[in-house]
Amino acid sequence: MVKRVFQRPLNIIERILFIDFIKGLTVTLKQAFRRTITTHYPYEKLTPPKRFRGFLGHKVIDGREPQPAFNEWVERMKIEVRPGHSRCVVCLLCKRACPVPQLFEIEPEKLPNGKRVIGVFNMNLMLCTFCGLCVDACPVDCLFNSDIHETASYSRKDAILDLKALEEIGRDWQRRREKEEDKIWSDDEHRQRLWYENDVSIR
Amino acid sequence: MMEIAINILIILIKILVILIIALGIGAYLTLVERKVAAHIQRRPGPMVVGWHGLLQPIADGVKLITKEDLFPRYGNRFLYNLALIMALVPAVLVFAVVPFGPTIEIGGREIKPILTDVNVGILLVFGLGSLAVYAIALAGWASNSKYALIGSMRKAGIIISYEVAITFAVMGPLMLAGTLSTFEIVQAQIDQKLWYFWIQPVAFVVYMFSLLAETGRVPFDIQEAEAELVTGFTVEYGGIKFGLFPLVEWYVEVLTLSAIAVVLFFGGWSPINIPFLGFVDPLFFLGPFAPFVWFVLKVALLLLFVLWLHWTLPRYRIDQITAIAWKVMLPLALLNLVITAVIAPLIWR
Repeated sequence: MVKRVFQRPLNIIERILFIDFIKGLTVTLKQAFRRTITTHYPYEKLTPPKRFRGFLGHKVIDGREPQPAFNEWVERMKIEVRPGHSRCVVCLLCKRACPVPQLFEIEPEKLPNGKRVIGVFNMNLMLCTFCGLCVDACPVDCLFNSDIHETASYSRKDAILDLKALEEIGRDWQRRREKEEDKIWSDDEHRQRLWYENDVSIR
Repeated sequence: MMEIAINILIILIKILVILIIALGIGAYLTLVERKVAAHIQRRPGPMVVGWHGLLQPIADGVKLITKEDLFPRYGNRFLYNLALIMALVPAVLVFAVVPFGPTIEIGGREIKPILTDVNVGILLVFGLGSLAVYAIALAGWASNSKYALIGSMRKAGIIISYEVAITFAVMGPLMLAGTLSTFEIVQAQIDQKLWYFWIQPVAFVVYMFSLLAETGRVPFDIQEAEAELVTGFTVEYGGIKFGLFPLVEWYVEVLTLSAIAVVLFFGGWSPINIPFLGFVDPLFFLGPFAPFVWFVLKVALLLLFVLWLHWTLPRYRIDQITAIAWKVMLPLALLNLVITAVIAPLIWR
């Protein structure tokens, strides 16, 4: 037995003149002449918020590393600092934080002077869930989520990001959005700014 | 001999024009519907193919024609194909008795812009309209699918209910005009200086309800009810066969029934009417084209109204639909018939 909570019966005038039909019709007519609220996606793209979790990337050394953490890690891991290249200190914390650790392939490269740099850093994004745990784990603010979200590709090979691609995404991000204020939500003005500034070419 | 040849040529030209109107405009109505629906939901609709999607129907047609023609296993191939023909032919045939304008003279020859001015035109319209139910019942049965069968049964139930109501609804205007010929009904309205809508609003409301029910438009689109039945009886049709069913049901039939409604209630090609006084024609500057423009304008407005309703209202249940037909619409139509019979002599004068 369904209990009717509230239903006002229509009076005779409303029944004869279809008042409720007319109410509905006025609503749709009003909406029909208002501005459309859509984005023509392949032609126009909205900028995602800064905290958006898209493709991953490596920020490069540009003098804005988190201090003193970066210097401590460089000393501990005996890393050769090369400005303009990845900040990675080969600590493997990202791999450790990852729910699917086999997607990382990380190997250091030994230099003749006894120090090390990052040599191989492959990420298989086909296994990645974009959860961002590796980003939280990174002690030197190297690994990060960018706003690149068009991940479709013609081959499975293209889903694997190597160090070169990661660094390119990082440089692109640092140029475009590093200084932007960190907001959880984007206001309209921000969203209306189109995405065309992004010129990174991964493949 | 020459005379007969010329007459046949004229008829062939008329048929060609009517087919182009019925199927060409029908195809473009898909675009109109998508645009109207989109703007009501604050979307722009098709925008990519052509300027504001103007070439979209052609792209859709090419896509549907080049698709594979699938046939359901254990279906009945003969009835499956017959259903399509039986849906398409009666719907287009109704255009044979739609008058587009007054008699015109071309080269000293009087031409009526109507294919056949038979003296039982309206009877023909509703005879052919009832044939549509066979197409739908056959389509549902021949495709050997539960969804299709349920959809076609619902549609058959609705059409049987509303055929009665619509026939009694049009009886009022017919009584006032005193003829069944569509051409002469319009002529009678012009002579009496009266659109029958002014004294037959009840009949018009019943007619509109029946129009929506017979063409499967919202709020009576229960036979396709995409949330429950996928697309109802067209579920097993593929390619252009799938394209033709909605084309016929949603566009050609709405077009024909809107045209008949304009003929019966809004004086066909006549300009704006002031009851019993005369006609006001703001489009007089178009000269001999004005009646045709008026006719097209009225049909277009009625059609847009149907689309507007479609994208506003929710859907009735099947029992509510038949209850409205038998308990409300049919008594109203009968009552209207009685009142019309009383006042008809006043109109005839």
